Amino acid sequence: MTTIRLENLVKRFGDFTALKTMDLEIRDGEFMALLGPSGCGKSTTMNMIAGMEDPSGGRILFDGRDMNGVPMGKRGVGFVFQNYAIFTHMTVRQNLAYGPKMRGMSRSEIDRRVKNIADFLQLTPLLDQKSAKLSVNILQRLAIGRSAIVEPAIFLLDEPLSNVDAAFRAVMRTELKHLQKQFKQTMVYVTHDQLEAMTMADRIAVMDHGVLQQVGTPLEVYNNPANIFVAKFIGAPGMNLIAGELAETDRGLAVDLGSWGVSPPLSDDLAAAARAAGSRAVQYGFRPEEATLGSERKGLRARVTFVERIGARTIVHAESGQAVKVVTENDVGFSIGDVVSIVPTPAAVRLFDAASTAAIRGG
Amino acid sequence: MRRSPAFEIFRYAAIALALALTLLPILWMVSMAFKPIPEWSATGADLTWIPRAPTLDNFRFVFGESTSDLIVALERTAWRPILASLLSAVFGTIIAMVCGTAAAYGLSRFGSGKNLPLALIQLRLFPPMAVMIPVMIMWAFLGLIDTWWGLALIYGIVTLPFAFWLMKTFFDEMPREIEEAALVEGCSRFRVFMKITLPVMRAPLASSALLVFILNWSDYLIALLLTTKNWVTIPVYMASLSSSMTGQLYGAKAALGLLAAIPPVILGIAIQKHLVRGLTFGALKQ
Repeated sequence: MTTIRLENLVKRFGDFTALKTMDLEIRDGEFMALLGPSGCGKSTTMNMIAGMEDPSGGRILFDGRDMNGVPMGKRGVGFVFQNYAIFTHMTVRQNLAYGPKMRGMSRSEIDRRVKNIADFLQLTPLLDQKSAKLSVNILQRLAIGRSAIVEPAIFLLDEPLSNVDAAFRAVMRTELKHLQKQFKQTMVYVTHDQLEAMTMADRIAVMDHGVLQQVGTPLEVYNNPANIFVAKFIGAPGMNLIAGELAETDRGLAVDLGSWGVSPPLSDDLAAAARAAGSRAVQYGFRPEEATLGSERKGLRARVTFVERIGARTIVHAESGQAVKVVTENDVGFSIGDVVSIVPTPAAVRLFDAASTAAIRGG
Repeated sequence: MRRSPAFEIFRYAAIALALALTLLPILWMVSMAFKPIPEWSATGADLTWIPRAPTLDNFRFVFGESTSDLIVALERTAWRPILASLLSAVFGTIIAMVCGTAAAYGLSRFGSGKNLPLALIQLRLFPPMAVMIPVMIMWAFLGLIDTWWGLALIYGIVTLPFAFWLMKTFFDEMPREIEEAALVEGCSRFRVFMKITLPVMRAPLASSALLVFILNWSDYLIALLLTTKNWVTIPVYMASLSSSMTGQLYGAKAALGLLAAIPPVILGIAIQKHLVRGLTFGALKQ
């Protein structure tokens, strides 16, 4: 129930700049995922929001109030750590009751809250067990409960699911979303797992090398990546990118992709944007899911190098200088060595400036 | 993996040899403690592992009771040295652990640079003899010679680097998020230390304290230099157990040695559970 604003936030560790001037607004009650590879500055950003680290520059505002100098205990945030940070010398009940006790709540209020949260997280039968003996999955559940019990206005989660096993991760994704629906906190969720970010977040902030790359809804960052990094990072596999040059053809503006041949003509919007941008060297991008394979001579020509069967779908790897992947149905009729023709869905084609890596966008 | 029988035989032989080398002298001490004079002063073929006429005379002797056949006038009984050893070792351990733990926590969490910790450990690189004479002079000025508290103070100082380094390693390995989790809930730094850090660290604390206690308990040199009469400790007292008539009083020494081994053994058993965890603290799941 709080808006978080980051203004020109900078963090340096000695000579190393972990975060370069970040501006971000996390709306009241929003589930915001900070997504990026390790070392991108997402955890540093989170630690500054929590007050564990002081910014080297810029401001953090909660509902317009400058948090600079406010100790973490006074910020009203809940924090869930990657390694749980459970108080192992206490029982499950004592762990859950810790926050309410520190805030001086009455005995009956503490009991009521412990009972509610334990029910919600299915910890009731374990309440009087020593927490040191619990499994990793239960520890993380307990860690979430311990932070959620005081109903903080801001809930910060630092890769909470990266140590738990895959099946439990799927369960927890749903539970965390329910938790947020119930308590309506502003949630900030740090992860390097795009599946977690895509499934839970209202908006995703993609980061790399201490720089905020793009902020948008999961579908926005998936469909319209702001630059080459986001295009490659989001999606499994990431977007295909082929280096090429803009070329006028008799059917309109297209991209000359060298050994791949010339791309189908660009859509009118994209062609207009590309002409306006003025750069000739571009990266031609399309999602592996947004292309069809054929043998007739009309698309991008390449040789199949690998056929990867992942169960529900099949990923065909093809190469002509650069490698691309196409996700297709399982009854794919190609095998290694075949020459295929790849036709990207026209509306799904994206262009990036080869020099600046930024997206060239129409309309 | 299956090992060859020859290797297995060799392995067990090596273990048996190592055990024999370490345990037989202790068994010999236990045996001697219960032997009457003729047996512990015997030589050659008369020596036996099992006392032929077991007796508690050696124990009675060191505690000042007259015994049938050992007629030596003791300057003092073992009571006072045992008290001296207990007081100086226990309080020395408390000083080292309290100061060492506090310093280790401070440096592990808030310290910058690595010179101070190294400066502390280099105190241990001096040969003790090099510093003990100056310490003796200082202690004489301060009126701390031949007092248990003077001894406890120097024990605390000498073992402080051990306590500090052991605890610093443990604090460095402890996941900080546990403390941060409590800080986020609004707990004060000091309270976090008392209510979260120390309880979580009780296994390393217990094993460090035991190691420091054993160091203090078995000191000879410092006690020899800093005590004269009233507060000599067990090791110093033990060295004085001799007579012009029989030479070294081996039976009495063995009896005292057996008694001196009891406190570390009891402590070790009492914290055995913590000891194993403390020594493998770094291997805890994170």
